[in-house]
Amino acid sequence: MKSFESKFEVCLKKVQKPARYIGNEFNSVHKENFSDLVSFAFCFPDVYEVGMSHLGMKILYHMMNERTDTVCERVFAPWVDMEEELRKNDIPLLSLESHIPVSEFDIVGFTLQYEMSYSNVINMLDLAGIPLKSADRGEDDAFVCAGGPCAYNGEPLADVVDFFILGEGEEVNNEILDAYKEWKNENGSRLNFLVKISAIEGVYVPAFYDVEYNSDCTVKSIKPNRDGVPEMVKKRIIKHLDDAYVLDKMIVPFMDIVHDRMTLEIFRGCIRGCRFCQAGYLYRPVREHSTEKLLDIAQKLIDSTGYEEMSLSSLSTSDFTCLHQLIDGLLEKTIDKRINLSLPSLRVDNFSMELMEKVQTVKKSGLTFAPEAGTQRLRDVINKNVLEEDLLRTSRIAFEGGYNRIKLYFMIGLPTEMEEDVKGIAELAQKVIDVFYSIPKEVRKGRSVTVTVSTSSFVPKPFTPFQWEPQNRIETLIEKQKLLKDSIKTKSISYNWHQSHVSFLEAVFAKGDRRLADVLIAAQKKGCKFDGWDEHFDYEKWLEAFRDCGVDPEFYAYRKIDHNEVLPWDHIDIGVKKEYLMKEHDRAYEGVTTPSCREKCMGCGAASFGGGVCFE
Amino acid sequence: MSKIRLKFSKTGMGKYISHLDLLRTFTRAIHRAGLPVRYSQGFNPHQLITFSLPLALGVTSETEFVDIDFEDGTDKCEVVEKLNSNLPPDIRILKASVPECKANDIVSARYTVTLGLLKAVSKDKLQEFFDKADIPAVKKTKRGEKEINLREYIKSYELKSLNEKETEFEVILSAGGESNIKPDIVVAKLCEFLGDSADESVEIHRTEIFYTKGETVETFC
Repeated sequence: MKSFESKFEVCLKKVQKPARYIGNEFNSVHKENFSDLVSFAFCFPDVYEVGMSHLGMKILYHMMNERTDTVCERVFAPWVDMEEELRKNDIPLLSLESHIPVSEFDIVGFTLQYEMSYSNVINMLDLAGIPLKSADRGEDDAFVCAGGPCAYNGEPLADVVDFFILGEGEEVNNEILDAYKEWKNENGSRLNFLVKISAIEGVYVPAFYDVEYNSDCTVKSIKPNRDGVPEMVKKRIIKHLDDAYVLDKMIVPFMDIVHDRMTLEIFRGCIRGCRFCQAGYLYRPVREHSTEKLLDIAQKLIDSTGYEEMSLSSLSTSDFTCLHQLIDGLLEKTIDKRINLSLPSLRVDNFSMELMEKVQTVKKSGLTFAPEAGTQRLRDVINKNVLEEDLLRTSRIAFEGGYNRIKLYFMIGLPTEMEEDVKGIAELAQKVIDVFYSIPKEVRKGRSVTVTVSTSSFVPKPFTPFQWEPQNRIETLIEKQKLLKDSIKTKSISYNWHQSHVSFLEAVFAKGDRRLADVLIAAQKKGCKFDGWDEHFDYEKWLEAFRDCGVDPEFYAYRKIDHNEVLPWDHIDIGVKKEYLMKEHDRAYEGVTTPSCREKCMGCGAASFGGGVCFE
Repeated sequence: MSKIRLKFSKTGMGKYISHLDLLRTFTRAIHRAGLPVRYSQGFNPHQLITFSLPLALGVTSETEFVDIDFEDGTDKCEVVEKLNSNLPPDIRILKASVPECKANDIVSARYTVTLGLLKAVSKDKLQEFFDKADIPAVKKTKRGEKEINLREYIKSYELKSLNEKETEFEVILSAGGESNIKPDIVVAKLCEFLGDSADESVEIHRTEIFYTKGETVETFC
């Protein structure tokens, strides 16, 4: 093994924020006997401070490192200044802990959290010196795998990734590591290993499936090309969260990271079923931790990290069944230690004064709500199930409780959206302001109020009822942003929006198929990287890459897809059935809302996992 | 109230922990250790921690100091033991004491500089640099850039060893509130003078901090 230590150190002297690359943080795991162990390089295709804020990586990192036969080390995308130094000095991509070349690991695993990180995946493989395409890797090369939400339609990376891991990793990752050890003892070939793990539920080996296309570029069929490979690959879930591996320690970075705090995951999944929300379908069924277990984990996190803030994590905090009981228990542990408790993802329909007062006990933070659409009609279409009264009532509670700043999240470009829906966003924000001024001066705090309106552009995502929907064209989105801007008549409302060019590419890769791998590779060659960062995103380069590969990006983003068409991800089973999504799609057009899982079971298919809310 | 001064080392990759990150690292280590630290009053209370003399990024040290206010009767040995098990390996607490000298009185610090020069350099050439009466340089301050004569910041120079591979010398440089200079500026200017890009492989290590006590200069402890 060649050591790059001294050359690497020279690079550190020349870059911004060298603490990104040094490792050795408190609670990080450093193992001595690297070559005796199964080695897993856990790659996050973004910069350190983003990747280190991700909970899933922390869970799997500590879980794999608890195995005495395995070493898991972290790898992040080097920032552009560091990449330049590495390339200039012929240093390959190194792991954070031991500074070992990533190519020397047995398994190189990427977590795919957002589509706009795909160029970084390619760039990191390139930096690591690992052949970019699966088919070009030899017997001695590392296995490249990928998981995370984007892996459910990982087709754009199908030629790059040797195997995908679908769903929650706590069990399946261990099964893969066991299989790796067995395979190593058997002295099998690369192909043998992939065949072996394709039998594990949740493992998808794209090379074992052939995709046929119609002449109009739509998918004709996706079929296994060898015996013993499942027709449909089913995702994995942890049935009982309390019984699975639980993260009770976290690495405490030296530098400031995006989410620099303890994260207490209270449940997985969401009972709501907002029709645009991929997470709401991917992570079904809802499964909660018990309050007792959570209090136990919280104590361990406090003791092992020394963090001054704890954040509850879930898709919708206020839907946790015993939230008040949990918060009371947590406050007992946090107040004396001056630990701030933050509750993100609150809904306006079950927000209470009592809850707000509780979270304020330590430190008051801003309030953010997501009505998502400006009119009741459109909120019914997307099944947001939030009423205007709820938002106004909640705003009143907040203002009376001393807040004078509220952030509201919306989406533009939603299916069936009309001009009045866009204008409705400004009207709704105005009504929130009116609520503030209707409160007597003695009661509210501060003389003025600020409402921040943020809009993102709707991106149709696989495994949602809107997967068949076309995205609004960039020009249309820009027009709508302008319309909204012009509809805002007061300085008390500030408006910011997301770049629609990024949203367009997000749609392309979210719903993409295997033909996109060449585009990704071409884009990386042109220098595309860190596309989630405004200062690095280069739309023109991307368009060139599509042109060079003869692929039309609009085909993926702007086409209304027929329910009968074969989708590139039809061979992936997330539990929720395609027929159910079709039904929900139809209900959206009828403007009919669907009750939450706790109100009424609509038979989405997630019950096939045999656990969670489906059996409560 | 009992203020305890901790002497610690910052070595290895720890040199890339910035001053602000170091403060955060200590704050959380104290929290984890469950030590009875005192907090400031006011709207945003913070732990009462003061570093005696910030260390430049990329420099190692065997002689750093931090003063921490603990509740009365806090045991010094316990602080050292608990902090060492709660700090990352590159930061080690060496000793705890009751502060006797003041950080405000710090005037200078001694550094050992090791250069892996690309071409051989003579003893005389090095001496020539440090003998110059005028070494113009640019110092970055909070308000912008300032032109200075670096020579005024260099208190002493002593060559320790010199061979084809490595040159090692010691310098004492101004430090503290009155007049402060980062050692890397001196090294950069020296390399510029020598016409070598040796600053890539330079190692700078702080070995001693000095303060004035009346007329004399003594080791800060």
